[in-house]
Amino acid sequence: MECYLGIDVGSVSTNFALIDKHGKMLKKLYLRTAGRPIEAIKSGLKILKEDLKDDIKIKGVGTTGSGRKLASVIVGADVVKNEITAHAVASISEIPTVQTILEIGGQDSKIIILRDGIVVDFAMNTVCAAGTGSFLDRQAQRLGIPIELFGEIAIRSKNPTRIAGRCAVFAESDMIHKQQLGYKVEDILKGLCQALVRNYLANVAKGKEIKPPVVFQGGVAANSGIKRAFEEELGMEIIVPEHFDVMGALGAALLAKKAMSQNKQKQTNFYGFEAAFKEHRAESFECNGCPNLCEIVQIYVDNKLMARWGDRCGRWSENVAV
Amino acid sequence: MRIGVPRALFYYMYYPFWKTFFEALGHEVILSSPTNKKILKDGLEFAVDDACLPVKVFHGHIVDLIEKVDVLFIPRIISIEPGEFICPKFLGLPDMVKSSIPDLPPIIDSNLSVYKNRKGLIEHAKSIGTDLGHSSKLILKAYKIASTKFNSYKKFQISHEKLPLDSGQKSFFDSNSSYFSRHKNKCLGENTLNVLLLGHPYNIYDNYISMNLITKLQKNGIKVITPEIIPVKNISAGAKNLKKRLFWTLGKNIIGSTYYYMDCGKALDGIIHLASFGCGPDSIVGELLERKLSRNRLVPFLRINIDEHSGEEGFNTRLEAFIDVIEGRRRN
Repeated sequence: MECYLGIDVGSVSTNFALIDKHGKMLKKLYLRTAGRPIEAIKSGLKILKEDLKDDIKIKGVGTTGSGRKLASVIVGADVVKNEITAHAVASISEIPTVQTILEIGGQDSKIIILRDGIVVDFAMNTVCAAGTGSFLDRQAQRLGIPIELFGEIAIRSKNPTRIAGRCAVFAESDMIHKQQLGYKVEDILKGLCQALVRNYLANVAKGKEIKPPVVFQGGVAANSGIKRAFEEELGMEIIVPEHFDVMGALGAALLAKKAMSQNKQKQTNFYGFEAAFKEHRAESFECNGCPNLCEIVQIYVDNKLMARWGDRCGRWSENVAV
Repeated sequence: MRIGVPRALFYYMYYPFWKTFFEALGHEVILSSPTNKKILKDGLEFAVDDACLPVKVFHGHIVDLIEKVDVLFIPRIISIEPGEFICPKFLGLPDMVKSSIPDLPPIIDSNLSVYKNRKGLIEHAKSIGTDLGHSSKLILKAYKIASTKFNSYKKFQISHEKLPLDSGQKSFFDSNSSYFSRHKNKCLGENTLNVLLLGHPYNIYDNYISMNLITKLQKNGIKVITPEIIPVKNISAGAKNLKKRLFWTLGKNIIGSTYYYMDCGKALDGIIHLASFGCGPDSIVGELLERKLSRNRLVPFLRINIDEHSGEEGFNTRLEAFIDVIEGRRRN
């Protein structure tokens, strides 16, 4: 069977989506990046290989996320795309009439505005990562609550307390203050959900016209407390798509499918699942060619130099003998 | 005498005038290196904490010049258009540098103010010339040569839509002739994407500060339009639409260009606003822009704030997504 693979290497999670030639999801994986993207990509490939039957043939690969370049070197990608476009593509395929996408991931959050099936505007958080997945993770951990139960507990609250959501540092001290005053955990959690939503709407979604259907995706969409807070604040229904947690990967797979179907002659660059058993090594050094002192990263696959980046002038990145 | 001109701030507007003027007086003009990591590092070390990125970078350029020149040229720029001002940081720039950087060579800090009328430029020239000890006859002669060259350069800049971009070690002024024969981009391109790039000249044309924004856009086949290549009368026409006159020249150029293109129904595919974090005037100009653009959401708008902590990866992600958006719209 002919398939397309999408890989989204994010700050917190590394996701895989395998789709068939009609764009139907065959297999998805959500793994923790845990600060080691190369290992995460390789273990994803291994899991996929074990789970799949032999008649699977990968016809194209797309990568996205902040680690998209790295993933592309490791697996051999046909399409390397930014996560904003990838998320939009995936969302349109799931809910074709979508007009607004709210996406909250591990360390970034974005809003994408679509009209008539095309992206017309977008925004991404800039200086502050308050209210993204990592922060929620940390707070759940601090309160001793499994992150999976966060939303469920928050929804139980009848009297959410007000938490300052402008800044993660202040939000945390505010939460501690409230907890020392004796507020219930569920009220604090619900208050945190509301603060996060307020912050998102004031900073990321500032000045954007939010029209239904509104789709909520990214890892944080698993949190029903946040979804509820969005619904209350916006006064409209929020749709969480079936594959909300791997939408970036799904988008990358769809983009790979599209790119390969436009050029039937083209063979995929995919190295095969064997790539997972190769040895990958990253090294870096400071270039002394000019006062810019760029940090150059070099990726070795089985001791062979495969890619370099980080230079401003192209002296290193454009000179890789492959 | 070797006169040091920092390749920063108003270099991107007045360099053709200053260079010709100094050379006509018989001096050698030494330009600092294009902004690089060392210049930025020196700038951060010496400049006051709350300055914006371009002012910090300016300090770095001064450090780069100290050993190479006999005199430093740091004009006190007050106003570059009649009845308008520029950011007050320029007014105090020579003093800021003097108090922050030790062991400086002598500084020429002549005023440049055309607030009352355009004669301000000749006063500026006279004051520089007198400081350097020249006769008023020679100063006047040099001024005439310089202002003629400056005016024809500005005309050429608009008629050939030539952005003041440095190429390698060469200044934008020196690399002129070879550049415009290769890049002829008259009027809005029919089949190319047109992006209006807004921002202060010293941010958008400094390849280091702007992280090669213009080159990145051009490599994607995008035609870049900036306030510097828009005829002045069009900018003024656009700026008249504001209820209250904006008295910062650079802010007026940004708003005027936007209103001109939005209200004349010119085919723009996107607008990018590059602002430095902590910029006072831009905090208001940016807000005015966003209000204007959110009212008629016809053009995608990308706002990028930069400071010394800006990472190129996040910048590229946004830029790539923005290019995807405008290409997607064009296809439909």
